Amino acid sequence: MNTVKKTATQAFMYLVELVVILLSVFPILWVVMSAFKTNGEILSSPLALPTSFSLDTFVYLFETYNFPVYFLNSLLAAGVSTLVSLLFYAMGAYVIAKFEFPGRKLLFILFTITLLVPGHSKSQPIFSLVSDLGLFDSIWGVTLVYLSAGMAMSIFVLKAGFMAIPKSLDEAAIIDGAGFMRTFWSINLPLAKSALSTAGILMFLGNWNEYYFASLLTHSDSQRTLPIALSFFTSEFSYNYTNLFAALTIVILPGIVLYVFAQEQVQASVAATGIKG
Amino acid sequence: MESGRKRPARTKASRLQRANYKWIYLFLLPTVIIFAMFYVVPIVEVFVTSFTQWDGFNAPRFNGIRNYINLFNSHSFLTSLKNLFWWCVIAMTLHVGFGTLVAFVLFHRPRGWKVTRAVFMIPNVISAAAWAMIYRFIFNDDIGILNSLIRLINPDFSVDWFYVSPWAFWSVTFTWLFYAVIVTLIVLGDLLNIPQELTEAARIDGATGWQLIRYIHLPLCRTAIGTSIICSLTSRIAMYEQIALTTAGGPDYETVSLPILLVNAITDYRYGYANAVGVLMFLFGLVILWLVNRLFRMDETDY
Repeated sequence: MNTVKKTATQAFMYLVELVVILLSVFPILWVVMSAFKTNGEILSSPLALPTSFSLDTFVYLFETYNFPVYFLNSLLAAGVSTLVSLLFYAMGAYVIAKFEFPGRKLLFILFTITLLVPGHSKSQPIFSLVSDLGLFDSIWGVTLVYLSAGMAMSIFVLKAGFMAIPKSLDEAAIIDGAGFMRTFWSINLPLAKSALSTAGILMFLGNWNEYYFASLLTHSDSQRTLPIALSFFTSEFSYNYTNLFAALTIVILPGIVLYVFAQEQVQASVAATGIKG
Repeated sequence: MESGRKRPARTKASRLQRANYKWIYLFLLPTVIIFAMFYVVPIVEVFVTSFTQWDGFNAPRFNGIRNYINLFNSHSFLTSLKNLFWWCVIAMTLHVGFGTLVAFVLFHRPRGWKVTRAVFMIPNVISAAAWAMIYRFIFNDDIGILNSLIRLINPDFSVDWFYVSPWAFWSVTFTWLFYAVIVTLIVLGDLLNIPQELTEAARIDGATGWQLIRYIHLPLCRTAIGTSIICSLTSRIAMYEQIALTTAGGPDYETVSLPILLVNAITDYRYGYANAVGVLMFLFGLVILWLVNRLFRMDETDY
């Protein structure tokens, strides 16, 4: 009786695991697989495996459409905004973690509570702000908006990171004659490496994948990021499924690759801050 | 004597800190500017102009709560509220339930639990826009996985899931329903934090596996489940990509959400109206936070 129950529990657990894996991986595998099939194959047998593995479609997409531009735009918007805001938030989190000053607690609460503000609700003011700055329909406008995206999560993660660095190290540095800037740059920043990479990876992933503000703030083809370009392909390719699936593959692969390399950090920080999704 | 020795040290430290104030405020400045530019000013602007009629070209004209009255009289807004309500119910029960179930399974470390946990995250590291497109093809009538599978049994089957009532609502729901990795990670984190002695003590007292889950583990990850529900519900308020890129709110507003209405209002140059929607999104978020906090007694600790 007991062994029957135990086997049943085991079987149930494996079933749950199987369902999770199927739901998460199968859609992506199907998309990547279909990118290697001809349009005819996709239409006649959507579930069959591809018959050949030629990269022609990808080459064709990169040569015929502005894919290198979209790719660079995505990289620029996500990369620059992540680097700049990581530095800014590291500076803010550092003084909040290490120094006593009036308003310290209040600022920390204000910065982290921004997590609860729905991004969409600020659409119009941000749209007007970017337009007033003359950055509408420019990838730099998008980059500017992305600066603000990871504020709550970064301040939260980075403050914890800086607090874990013993204060005696700072004191030793000061005794040795290091100024404020050096204590920050040469002592604390290198030691907060794991917090920095966690915040950086999460911000980069978020900005790389961002769709809403990029679609609101850009108009012309040359300023599009990959997710925006993808949505325009639907109408442009309409029934050329091979191209569509190849375009989808190009858009989703970089995020997955980045995740594979930074798996532990992404999971740990998502659990800690409960962001996304 | 002892306090006498400490005092000079403290004044010295604070003197050192006062010299640092210049640096402290300089270091805070960039974050404060971003905070003001992208949070304080926009939020104030949204609140104030939600009481005006404004097309973006002419100056906003105060019109009281006209925008809100119009909202509550419009079919599209009322439908979006109805959708939000049902999506919230589904999120709290099925979505968080599934995520919690997976967390409990992974907690018992069956073979492959690490792979499962890692793989579950993948849909979340992909652009929501791309994910919406993928589902658009999965539910596509001609080439979709779903209909291809059904046609193995019934060759004449044909339904365009995203475009016909009542399937559109459920198709949009399915794009997020089982993708509950955030819930799983939060709950699993709390489960792993439960002191080992607690589980052992219950075992010695004769608790069976099921009783252990029901009376010890589940109540102890109450806060994690509460946090998961808050995360999940705030995402329901903000649902945009998975609708805009699949059904665009149709058929007949059956899958419309608040962000979709907001964007439609902006493209129609009805900024005051759009911002009234924004204010309501903001308020719903606060209400959810408050309600879940109360419901799950999240400010109390267990050990």
